[in-house]
Amino acid sequence: MESPQNIKKRLKSVNNIGQITKAMELVSATKMRKSQEIALASRPYSFAALDLLANLTLLENLKKEELPELLRQRKVSKVLFVLVASDKGLAGAFNSSVFRKFELHMKRDEEKYPNEEHLFLAVGEKSSAYLTKKGFKIAKKFVQAGDYTTPEDVKPITDFIVQGYLDKKWDRVVIISTHFRTALKQEPHIRRFLPIDFDHIADAIREIVPERGKFAELIKEQSINFVPTRADVKDYLIEPSAKKVLERLVKHLCFMQMYHLVLEANASEHSARRMAMKTASDNASDLSVSLNLQYNKSRQSKITTEISEISAGAEAQSQ
Amino acid sequence: MKLSVYSLKNILFQGEAVSLNCKTTMGEITVLDHHEPLITILAEGQVKVIAKDGKEHLFPIRSGFLEVRPENEARCIVEQ
Repeated sequence: MESPQNIKKRLKSVNNIGQITKAMELVSATKMRKSQEIALASRPYSFAALDLLANLTLLENLKKEELPELLRQRKVSKVLFVLVASDKGLAGAFNSSVFRKFELHMKRDEEKYPNEEHLFLAVGEKSSAYLTKKGFKIAKKFVQAGDYTTPEDVKPITDFIVQGYLDKKWDRVVIISTHFRTALKQEPHIRRFLPIDFDHIADAIREIVPERGKFAELIKEQSINFVPTRADVKDYLIEPSAKKVLERLVKHLCFMQMYHLVLEANASEHSARRMAMKTASDNASDLSVSLNLQYNKSRQSKITTEISEISAGAEAQSQ
Repeated sequence: MKLSVYSLKNILFQGEAVSLNCKTTMGEITVLDHHEPLITILAEGQVKVIAKDGKEHLFPIRSGFLEVRPENEARCIVEQ
């Protein structure tokens, strides 16, 4: 049997680990709540922006050629994949589930469209490490977004993607990120980012609210209709011109959608980390119980041996 | 008029307002009650809102959009 001193040493380190993971669990829980709150704070804004877009497109029965570039479909020969993962590890299956989804998608894509060229953009330290390891060409990487994303953090990412799209560096942009369904359940999702589809944006915004939990009630309070009926639309004065406003608004919506995706990934990361840390601290406490038992047993057996040695010695002397 | 000013981070103003003064790409405008429906792009500058209780609210903005809706209602989405 292992010596009691050794077991004691192990017990101590297990307890220390347990304490650390417990602390990390609590920190992640707070961070998760806060990032959810940030995501929700931008909802009125998103709804207003989407409403405006719906109004604008109804007002002007724009012809195909007049649509801004970002809304137009074109022949796809190059695809940009954006992989959104975390900067730090210790978040359970958060990163690997995104990568697995990505691999599946790539496999299917290669069979379906063998002639498409692929480019990659990494958001987060881990995703750039993964892509480098797999030998994919990274067009650019964005890291250090921090625990809570600010619009300023996301702006360079969107600018890069939109500019590249306008310069015809890629004809389609696909984003793989994590969708925050509930605090216990996150799923990797694949979304088409460009060219823009109204339904896609509307879905993305609706998804900000988790299905269950504290914030789920909010969506029922403010049910918002995205598509105004023809009758509501009066004659608007549009300055400087419908085309220009639409162009700006569409760019803005891109930015907004990206912001939401990153926020959602952020909330997912924190909640995945919370779950991983919870499992780790549960394991640590289990381990500490069994180690404690082992320690007591080994101490007991040592004492028994000593007693039997002493009594044997005493017996030998009395003879 | 009913006015709401939203930014990505929070709601800047929501409620009854007497006037809204802002810079658009075409020049400075002031929106009063029963303004005609309008959609425009806001330029960098300050948005000045005078609430019904006479209080003045000032928000510096970088860009944004203004929509004046038919039923005496206006909405601003701004970037700070």
